[in-house]
Amino acid sequence: MRTMLFLLLALALVPAHAGATLDRVKRTGVVINVLLDSYPPFEFLGPDNQLAGFDIDVARAFAAKIGAKLQLQTPSWETIVGGHWQGRWDICICSMTRTAERERSLSFPVQYYASPAVITVNKNEQHIKSAADLSGKRVGVGNGSTYENYLNRALVLDGQAVVSYPFHDVVAIPGDETINFRNLALGPGVRLDAIVSSLATATASAAALPALKVLSPTLYAERSSVATEKGDPDWDALVARTFQELKADGSLAKISQKWLNMDAIVYGP
Amino acid sequence: MALDAEVAAGAARRGAAPRVARKSHFRMQVWATWLVLALLLAWGCRALQLDFGYVAQKLPFLLGLRLGPDGFIQGAVLTLFVTAVSMVCALGIAMITAAGRLSDNPVAFALATFYASLFRGTPLLVQVLIIYLALPQVGVVLGGLTSGLIALSLNYGAYLAETIRSGMMAIPLGQREAAMALSLPRWLIIWKVTGPQALRLIIPPAGALFVSMLKDSALVSILGLWELNFLAQSYARASFRYMEMLLAAALIYWALSIVFEIVQFRLERRFGRGVAVAARR
Repeated sequence: MRTMLFLLLALALVPAHAGATLDRVKRTGVVINVLLDSYPPFEFLGPDNQLAGFDIDVARAFAAKIGAKLQLQTPSWETIVGGHWQGRWDICICSMTRTAERERSLSFPVQYYASPAVITVNKNEQHIKSAADLSGKRVGVGNGSTYENYLNRALVLDGQAVVSYPFHDVVAIPGDETINFRNLALGPGVRLDAIVSSLATATASAAALPALKVLSPTLYAERSSVATEKGDPDWDALVARTFQELKADGSLAKISQKWLNMDAIVYGP
Repeated sequence: MALDAEVAAGAARRGAAPRVARKSHFRMQVWATWLVLALLLAWGCRALQLDFGYVAQKLPFLLGLRLGPDGFIQGAVLTLFVTAVSMVCALGIAMITAAGRLSDNPVAFALATFYASLFRGTPLLVQVLIIYLALPQVGVVLGGLTSGLIALSLNYGAYLAETIRSGMMAIPLGQREAAMALSLPRWLIIWKVTGPQALRLIIPPAGALFVSMLKDSALVSILGLWELNFLAQSYARASFRYMEMLLAAALIYWALSIVFEIVQFRLERRFGRGVAVAARR
């Protein structure tokens, strides 16, 4: 116990540089992107045992553009969205949706793609045809995701509540999204009745699990933003500018072509 | 082989006559039972229609034979590293805490009791997250690895302290008094008289704690450490081969636990020598 206290004290004396993200990136020449390993096709562990996906390629393009070396870190989602990064990570190119709640703890300098939210059901599902049929059903959503807020009728996107909720008393079941998809594949109502997620992850899961079916009417468009730690406007400006350039020179379109060949998804700031 | 020695010890424990034939008979039946159980387990796994090719392809990474993308150790090697470091730290913390719990000094007693109660009374997962997320807010920014090591050490140190304390308290007071009558110094009494006797009682529950710590080290995966559980789940997600990866991880954890159990058994035997000799007479 005493040794631990000494250790903590010693570490506390090392100066923490909160805020000055740009200074840190300039000084070290490394940009640390924080993301997940559990969000295919955006972020996952690829066949060559390296992180792969849309967000990883975008992060690579971003790092190359600003002339920094890219480092990736993969802690759990709740440690990322809570903010207070304290200089651990520089940027989150991680398919995060900007919401009023998250704006309190993070900064969102730029949007980089938009994807519709959709409902996925089992192929044998008879009753669920649209969002109105979700009433009273058990619906899987990602842990701490915006889809969870949607089912709880509390989603505020881009500063306004534009989303309509044609259902009531939905039982939102938060969990690992990929495990949710597997649970839904077991049969309609076995563990879940439906899943609300991004079109891209739903399509990828339906391709891997033939028992799943993505419903065609989309729920609402959701724009994913790049997140940074609060309090460094210069860094935010550089991030926004770099993403404009990545859109202008066609890099974003090329990466999206590679990972998410879908018309419903719109790229670029 | 150590497992065999354990079987032999099992035969001895059962009070079998020290005849070689009885012992080897017992030993044979134990191995036969284990064989049947292993076959049953393998048969059950066959029903899951596993893709062993995928397991074989990922096994070197799960075992940690290759470095991770950032050049750091990963997989089972990282699991073992986290467990080993936490074990050493926990042991140090536990000895100090146990001394505090047994101390006549009210402040030392209060500190040790407070710490043990706090860390035994809150979930390890919560402690991991608090150390990782709350400390930065007071200016202490620790990496995922350091946070995980501290959380595991503090949590298991608290449990281990109680194990050590109970072991020390189980030694009759007469042992210390007799040593004091010989005017042995205090440290020598602990080192040569009460300590070794207490160790015999401490080792089995402490061994159980370390086996449990090996598996609880999976919790640090939420800090972004690519240990065994993290890799297994990550590969499972990417390939939709959950059963293959989870079973492979489970088997690796089990194999590591068996090594821990064997070490514990050896230590138990070593520190139980005196009692074993006394029982044979």
